[in-house]
Amino acid sequence: MNVRLLGCVFRAMWMHRLIMARRYAFNTLSSMITIYLVFLLLFLGGRALAGPMLLGDGLEGLVVGYLVWMFALFAYSDLAWELIMQAQIGTLEKLFLSPAGFRWVTIFNELGGLVFNFGLGSLMLLAIMLTTGTFLRIDLVSVIPLLLATIAAAYGFGLMAGGLALVHKRIQAAFQILQFVFVGFIMAPGDWVVSRYLPFNLGTRLLGQVMGDGVRIWQLPASDLLVLVATGAAYLALGMLVFARMERMARNRGLLGHY
Amino acid sequence: MTMALEVQGLTKVFRRRGKDPVVAVREIGLQVQPGEVVGLLGPNGAGKTTTIKCILGLMLATGGSVRVFGRDIARHRSDAAREMSAVLEGSRNIYWRMTAAENLGFFTLLHGVPRHEAQPYNHRLLEVFGLADRKDVSVQELSAGMRQKVAVACALATRASLVFLDEPTLGLDLETSHELRRLLRELAASEGRTIVLSSHDMAVVQDVCRRVVIMKEGRVVVDDSVANLLALFRTRAYRFALSDGCPDGLEQRLRERFTGVTMNPGRPFVVEVVLDRAEDLYAIIEVLRAAGVLIDTITQREPDLEEAFLRLMRGEGI
Repeated sequence: MNVRLLGCVFRAMWMHRLIMARRYAFNTLSSMITIYLVFLLLFLGGRALAGPMLLGDGLEGLVVGYLVWMFALFAYSDLAWELIMQAQIGTLEKLFLSPAGFRWVTIFNELGGLVFNFGLGSLMLLAIMLTTGTFLRIDLVSVIPLLLATIAAAYGFGLMAGGLALVHKRIQAAFQILQFVFVGFIMAPGDWVVSRYLPFNLGTRLLGQVMGDGVRIWQLPASDLLVLVATGAAYLALGMLVFARMERMARNRGLLGHY
Repeated sequence: MTMALEVQGLTKVFRRRGKDPVVAVREIGLQVQPGEVVGLLGPNGAGKTTTIKCILGLMLATGGSVRVFGRDIARHRSDAAREMSAVLEGSRNIYWRMTAAENLGFFTLLHGVPRHEAQPYNHRLLEVFGLADRKDVSVQELSAGMRQKVAVACALATRASLVFLDEPTLGLDLETSHELRRLLRELAASEGRTIVLSSHDMAVVQDVCRRVVIMKEGRVVVDDSVANLLALFRTRAYRFALSDGCPDGLEQRLRERFTGVTMNPGRPFVVEVVLDRAEDLYAIIEVLRAAGVLIDTITQREPDLEEAFLRLMRGEGI
C-alpha cells in the first residue's frame, strides 16, 4: 500500500475528527458531564450505603473499574456509532471509495479516536480523583499498555456492532444494552475461573494493582499478562471477522448506502 | 486504445430467502472511451444505480468483469479506485456539518491527494461553482442547489479521470439545474474527464451527454449517440394544423394506416403523427386531401430525448 496515500487518509480522518469535535462540542461536553454525574451518583450512593467501608481499596476499585468502563464505552461506541452515523448521513459509501480501502479508513479513524479519547478520559479521571480525594498512581509505562490490551475487546465489540449495523441498520437497542453488559464483565468476581477470560475483567484487576498498589507492569504475573493480551486479541479478531463478513454481506445485498 | 471503462457480462442477482431471485442487471456490456460523456437512462428499476455501484465496487457483482483504464477492479482495486469518483444519491454524501472548503479538503485527502496539491484546484472549483463566497459556511446552511454543487465539486476535486454522477440534478430548481448542466459541460470539455451520468431528467442527459445508454429490466437496450437517437425520430415526426377541424372518420382512417397518431382538438385542430417511412408523408397528405380538410401548416416536430426515450421504451425504433 502506498505510504503517501495512507498518510493522506490518516490526515483526512484526523481532520474530520477534529472538525466534528468542534462542531459537536456541546454534545461532547454534555456526554462528559453525564459520565461524571453517573460516577458521582455511584460514589455518593455507595458512600451512603457502605459508609466508611467505601474507602481505600474499595474506592480505588470503583475508580479503576469506572475508568475501564469509560474507556471501553468510548472505544466501542466510537466505532459502532461512527458507522451507524456515516450510514445515516450517506457518507459511508464515499469512505468505501477511498483508494486506501475501507479497512484503513476505519483503522485511521479509530487511531484518531483513541488519541482523542485518551485526552477526554484523562480529564475525566482527574475530575473523579479530585472529587473522591483518591489519587491513583499514573505510571504511564504500565497503565497505557494495560489499558490498550484491556479495551482491545471493546474495539472488537465495536466492530461486531458496526458490522451488524451495516446489514441490519437499526440496532440501537442492542447497542445500548451491551454498554451495561460491559459492567457485568468488569464486575464479575475474580474467583470465578471464567472471569479472567471475560472482556475487561482481568485488565481491570491488573490496572487496579498498578494504579492502586503501585505495582509495575513487569512485576505482574506473566501468565496474567499473556491471558490479557490473548483475550484482547481474540475479541478484536472476532470483531474483525464478524465485521468483514457483515461488510461483504452488505455489499452483496447492496445495503451500504441504505439506512 | 485503453478504454476508460470496459464492462463485460456484468450481472447482479439479489437472492432472498424464501423468495425468487431478482436479476437486477443481466450480462451488461459497456465500453466508454476516455473523455466521453455518457448518459445512463432507464425507468425506475432498470438497474442503473446497481450497475454504477457494481462498477464502483460498492456492490458485489454476481458475474462479469469491470476494467477501469485497463485495470480489473477485482484485482487492482486501489489503482482502479484512484481513477474513479462519484456523486451518489444527490447531495446526501457530503458532510453537512462541515463547510464546503472542509468537504473538498477532506475528500481530496481521502482520495490520496496531499493538501498542497489539492488546494489550488479546490479553490478553482469553488470559484467555478460560485461557492467561493460561501466556502466557510456549514453545508447545512447552504441552499439545496449549493449543497448539490458541493457534492459534485467534491467528486471532481479528487481529479479522478472517471466520474460517476448518479442523479446530480435531483431536487434542483430549473435555474440551478441549468447552471449545473452548463458547469458539467464546460468542465467535461476543458478537462477531458470521462463522465457517466445517470438521470431521470432527459433534458440533463440531452444537454450534457453525447452518447446515451438506455437500460430496461437490467439490460442495455440502446447504446447510441444522442444525435442519432434524436435523428431517428426527427425525420418522421410531423405536425399538421387543420384549419377546418377534423371530419368524422378521419381519426380512424389515420390510425389504420399510421403509427403514433395524436389528435389535439382546438383551433387549429392539430394532428401529430410519426411516420414509419419518409415517403409516407405523401400518403398522409393524400388521406387528408381525400377527407376534404384544409391543411393550414405542416411542421416537422423536433423530438427531444424524452420523447425518443419514451418511444424506445415502447419498442418503437429498436
